[in-house]
Amino acid sequence: MKKKVTMAGKQVRHKNGGFSFVFLHLFLYLYIFSLPVIFLPVPNVYARQENRVKAEVLLYNESITLFEDGKVDKAIELAQEAIKANPKYSDAYNRLGYMLLKKGRINDALDAFKSAMKINPGLHSSQTGTGLALLKKGDAKGAGAIVKKALILNPHPSKAHYVLGLVYEKLKDYKNAIKQFKKGIKTYRSGDNGTH
Amino acid sequence: MGHINKRGKLDFKITFSIIVFFVFFASFTCITNAQALLQTGMAAPQFSLKNIENEKISLSQYSRKKAVIILFWATWSANSPRALKRFERFYKKYKDKGIQVIGINVENQTISDKDVGNIKEVVKKLQITFPVLLDRGLKTFHSYHVMALPSTIVVSGGKISYELPALPIIGTENMFNYLLALIGESPRGKVMPMHMPRYDVIADTNLGRRFAKRKIYVMASLLFEKAIKKDPEYIVPYIALAELYGSEGKNTEAEKTLRKALSVEPDNVVTMSELGYLLSKTGKIKEAIKILGRAVKKNSYTPAYYYLAYALSKDGKLKEALKLFKKAISLNPYEPAIYLLRAEVYENSKMLKEAASDYRKALELFLGDPLLIQ
Repeated sequence: MKKKVTMAGKQVRHKNGGFSFVFLHLFLYLYIFSLPVIFLPVPNVYARQENRVKAEVLLYNESITLFEDGKVDKAIELAQEAIKANPKYSDAYNRLGYMLLKKGRINDALDAFKSAMKINPGLHSSQTGTGLALLKKGDAKGAGAIVKKALILNPHPSKAHYVLGLVYEKLKDYKNAIKQFKKGIKTYRSGDNGTH
Repeated sequence: MGHINKRGKLDFKITFSIIVFFVFFASFTCITNAQALLQTGMAAPQFSLKNIENEKISLSQYSRKKAVIILFWATWSANSPRALKRFERFYKKYKDKGIQVIGINVENQTISDKDVGNIKEVVKKLQITFPVLLDRGLKTFHSYHVMALPSTIVVSGGKISYELPALPIIGTENMFNYLLALIGESPRGKVMPMHMPRYDVIADTNLGRRFAKRKIYVMASLLFEKAIKKDPEYIVPYIALAELYGSEGKNTEAEKTLRKALSVEPDNVVTMSELGYLLSKTGKIKEAIKILGRAVKKNSYTPAYYYLAYALSKDGKLKEALKLFKKAISLNPYEPAIYLLRAEVYENSKMLKEAASDYRKALELFLGDPLLIQ
């Protein structure tokens, strides 16, 4: 005879009672055996991801410390390591660009800034860096064009004003150079301490 | 339900009050101490820097010493070797009596390996035995508001008890007499102690400065006036109040405040400098030159030099002005105000190339970014 289980726990006959019994057991077995599958690998994945994030940030921060200690070559190496750990790390590309520029490796710096802007097209600091690199290469016109772009919607424009001032200074347009440097000072004083 | 609502409202009020309290006070504690002029009585800013052997040394390591003498110096500064030698002699003699000397080198905004080599050479040549630290990025230099090189700061009981820009003859002897008295030795001459204000007066002044920075001028001026009333001999609140009046365009009030400060301490070089600069801005050039000329003779307080230079340029004496600007730069090449004022002088004289160069230099010093400045 088929049974039916009521809410009160009373057994009553039911047409398809056997099915619900089998279904309940099946669900329990599946649940028990799937527990390790559901829970165990998940924390492992996150832990690995967390370690990876930590590694690139650690490398990046160590690169900053080394640069501040005057060890530019070692700082460049660590920034490259940080990029290897996370190829989408736009800040590391950007910083690498400035450090390469410091070493006079202008084309490598331009590549680094390009990579940074590919990942983060709105990275004003890399636009400014590109301008600085182009200026070093002797392309004042190209430098001016990209730095003017860097000034659009830039919440920390003092560094871009500085580079644009350098461009005008190179072009011997001292009136506009003064204007840009003054704007840089004004924005800096009004609280702009924009970082790389 | 009404009870729950009431409690909920109460909880919200308490939470909101706590948040407001923390936001309000955090906003103040986050600001650096903007004490740019007289620092005596202020807590000494902590630092942790690497020495020339690449070991980390902190000010806190010497907290048990009777006095820590911090000497800011650079190899390019003409008087630095003289200061280093003098302090080495003093250190050798009194290091067992609770004196610690620390030399902080401020060679450049970014210190290269070549710079480190030069510093080591000077240290070896002068046989310096006290720790010599490297202030990369000039953070410590700026936190102590150093005005000239060399500069000496004496820290006693965690507070700045004496400060001396450059190495003037009379001032230096007075400082050494002060140090001898501090360690219980008999000084060679009369000790002229610096005025030590009360803690609450310093606290009022500092709070006033923070309000001023946030453009809450009413509160700031109230606190400065309160500090002046509590301790009329403490010059800092006068200077700060005058600065506040100046930023509001109240030049008459600013002048009155500075003259009052000068009547309290007629030889105060900071007051003379600030009054001289204000007078030169308001067109009282002759009096400005007279006061600033007196300030320059007092000691190597760098602003006195560049303010006098500015006043002279307004009097049509460009050549003399440029000479004084140069002198000011030799004392403190990291002060953006020198380049800003000289740029203004160049711009007014239609020397645009020179003006652009000085505005650039000022901006570079403000930004202080070794990555950007190539």
